[in-house]
Amino acid sequence: MTKVPWVETLRQRLFATWWDTAITLVCLYIVWRISVPLFHWLLLDANWSGTSREDCKSPGACWVFVRMRFGQFMYGQYPVPERWRVDLVGILLVMSVAALSWRRSLVIPALIVLPPLGVWLLHGGWGTGLRVVETREWGGLMLTLFLAIYAGLIAIPLGILLALGRRSRLPLIRFASVVFIEFWRGVPIITVIFLASLLLPLIMPTGFDVDRLARAVIGLAFVIAAYMAEAVRGGLQALPEGQTEAAQALGLGYWRIQRLIVLPQALRIALPAMTNEFIALFKNTTLVLIVSIFDLLGIAQAALADPAWVGMNMEAYVFAGAIYWFACFGLSQWSRLREKRLQVAHGR
Amino acid sequence: MKIIGFAALAVLIAGSAVAQQLAPSPTLDAVKARGHIECGVHLGLPGFSFANDKGEWSGLDVDYCKALAAAVLGDSTKVKYTPTSVQQRWPVLTSGQVDLLARNTTITFSRNATLGVNFQGINFYEGQTFVVRTKAKVAAVKDLADGTICVAAGSTEEKAAADWFRERNLKVTIINFQKNDDAISAYDQERCDAYTAGVGALAGQRIKFKDPAQHQILTEVISNDPQGPTTRWGDERWQLVVRWVLNAQIAAEALGVTSKNVDEMKKSTNAEVRRLLGVDGKFGDMMGISNDWAYNLIKQVGNYGESFERTVGMGSVLKLKRGQNELWTKGGLLFTPPFQ
Repeated sequence: MTKVPWVETLRQRLFATWWDTAITLVCLYIVWRISVPLFHWLLLDANWSGTSREDCKSPGACWVFVRMRFGQFMYGQYPVPERWRVDLVGILLVMSVAALSWRRSLVIPALIVLPPLGVWLLHGGWGTGLRVVETREWGGLMLTLFLAIYAGLIAIPLGILLALGRRSRLPLIRFASVVFIEFWRGVPIITVIFLASLLLPLIMPTGFDVDRLARAVIGLAFVIAAYMAEAVRGGLQALPEGQTEAAQALGLGYWRIQRLIVLPQALRIALPAMTNEFIALFKNTTLVLIVSIFDLLGIAQAALADPAWVGMNMEAYVFAGAIYWFACFGLSQWSRLREKRLQVAHGR
Repeated sequence: MKIIGFAALAVLIAGSAVAQQLAPSPTLDAVKARGHIECGVHLGLPGFSFANDKGEWSGLDVDYCKALAAAVLGDSTKVKYTPTSVQQRWPVLTSGQVDLLARNTTITFSRNATLGVNFQGINFYEGQTFVVRTKAKVAAVKDLADGTICVAAGSTEEKAAADWFRERNLKVTIINFQKNDDAISAYDQERCDAYTAGVGALAGQRIKFKDPAQHQILTEVISNDPQGPTTRWGDERWQLVVRWVLNAQIAAEALGVTSKNVDEMKKSTNAEVRRLLGVDGKFGDMMGISNDWAYNLIKQVGNYGESFERTVGMGSVLKLKRGQNELWTKGGLLFTPPFQ
């Protein structure tokens, strides 16, 4: 009897004894019982065409709801004729990420130019000749990405500086960094967002108004920066002290040592932890719902209040959940790819 | 010091001279200057405030905001909505981020006394009631005696329902569930005769049932949770406008003025109609807004009854009966002082 390799593997791993066989069969049965109705609900019995809940006649999911609301899920209340601006910013983002991965020297200029350009395009006004779209009209996935990216853009550099500050030999800088990190790490994000959006207007002089969304971004960024700082510090501590000493012996100054020797290695070590923090940040953006900023989850929930679509809870949450999952999964895959490349570079 | 004292006195005298005509109203001035009203609404509540597929807001509370915009600015579309969560509604109002709240919020003494907010009338009489199957022939709450009611364990609704039946020496079986959703699905599976919650919540819930037509919401209520537009303390003239815009919606219905007949009604011989529509008297001027304020709001948004039917009543999918939200002349509680 010829042995087919994969059959043999299956037999060894799953059906080696009668006990193994029983467990395998029970597990298979459970998977079958869950996945078949799920598959039916999600796809086979789902409703795809039509324009209202009346068109959802079969027992499965009513994806008509998601289709009719798709624009809002992606852009919130961003005016329809202006949505190309969001698309343009999205394309610029993808292109710049792609460009930056083969031209490292562009990173710093890109980081200085692109983020303000993005805000400028999305918001309009300020001499663009574009219609002003207030941040209250922003929403959906676009807002979720905006919050995560901009909070990340502030949090990562700030986190690195804080991590260096915490290991600084100057007591004042070290003390300030420790206080900042411990304060923001100790406060729940939901409290920070709430305070940023409600307490600030009460204590600020009237007429001096910081945008609601900007307050949320800054609040999120500070908390995440504190976490990032600890992730980076982990990387810094993994480096042998000898490296810094050797660099000092060569006559390099503090900033050149950090930039050329310490940080490239420390960040490589800290990358998985930093990615972890960023994924946490991405999911924590949903907390802005408490101050009525409609991110993807918020807009999905708000859609459920429309009597035309009342009761579509499953569809709304499954759709929002799927997008979050794909985004987070994509991020972790990207991070693993970076890690591998960096490993190769390290090995050389 | 003396000079400052004299200057203060002069300002005071000048101020009181103006006050005889119009009290200062920073909110109204700000609204006119920016050209729109900032209305704090609910994040999303079927029939009361929600955005449709095109992103347009509608609902009973949203209609009030529109009426206010029509009255103050002559255009019901000049409103910007700030959705507010339960946690942030009061700070958003008192810090001046919105001009008023028109969002399902129960009017209570302690809120009025301690939060620095004033309630300017009642645009929806909310109260706890029951949803029952139409075939059950239940017309009033007492008909549920000897029946079963599904509730979420430990909820305020459970306690209120139990108390109501105990006080009347009526027997009723209350079945407790861990969560609201469980209680609802148990009711839907005919494990009990009724499910209890507030009128507004039940209206949204009823249309989720497999066949909404087989369920009805009782008009009798066993609790008292009135709701209405809310302003912060201070700025009495703005409070006046907010209060009388709601009164105008109610008065228009009581006087038979609708969005369709409002132009003919200008020729009415009824003195109150003439005053309301600004044909006689200067009621708008007295508040510091246009004299055809009520005409504009009736023409563009309609009277209270039109608004109710369109958003939560028979003209909507919610199909709520007027119940307590009917005019005082027709057995409801909705009331307005006269336009005199």
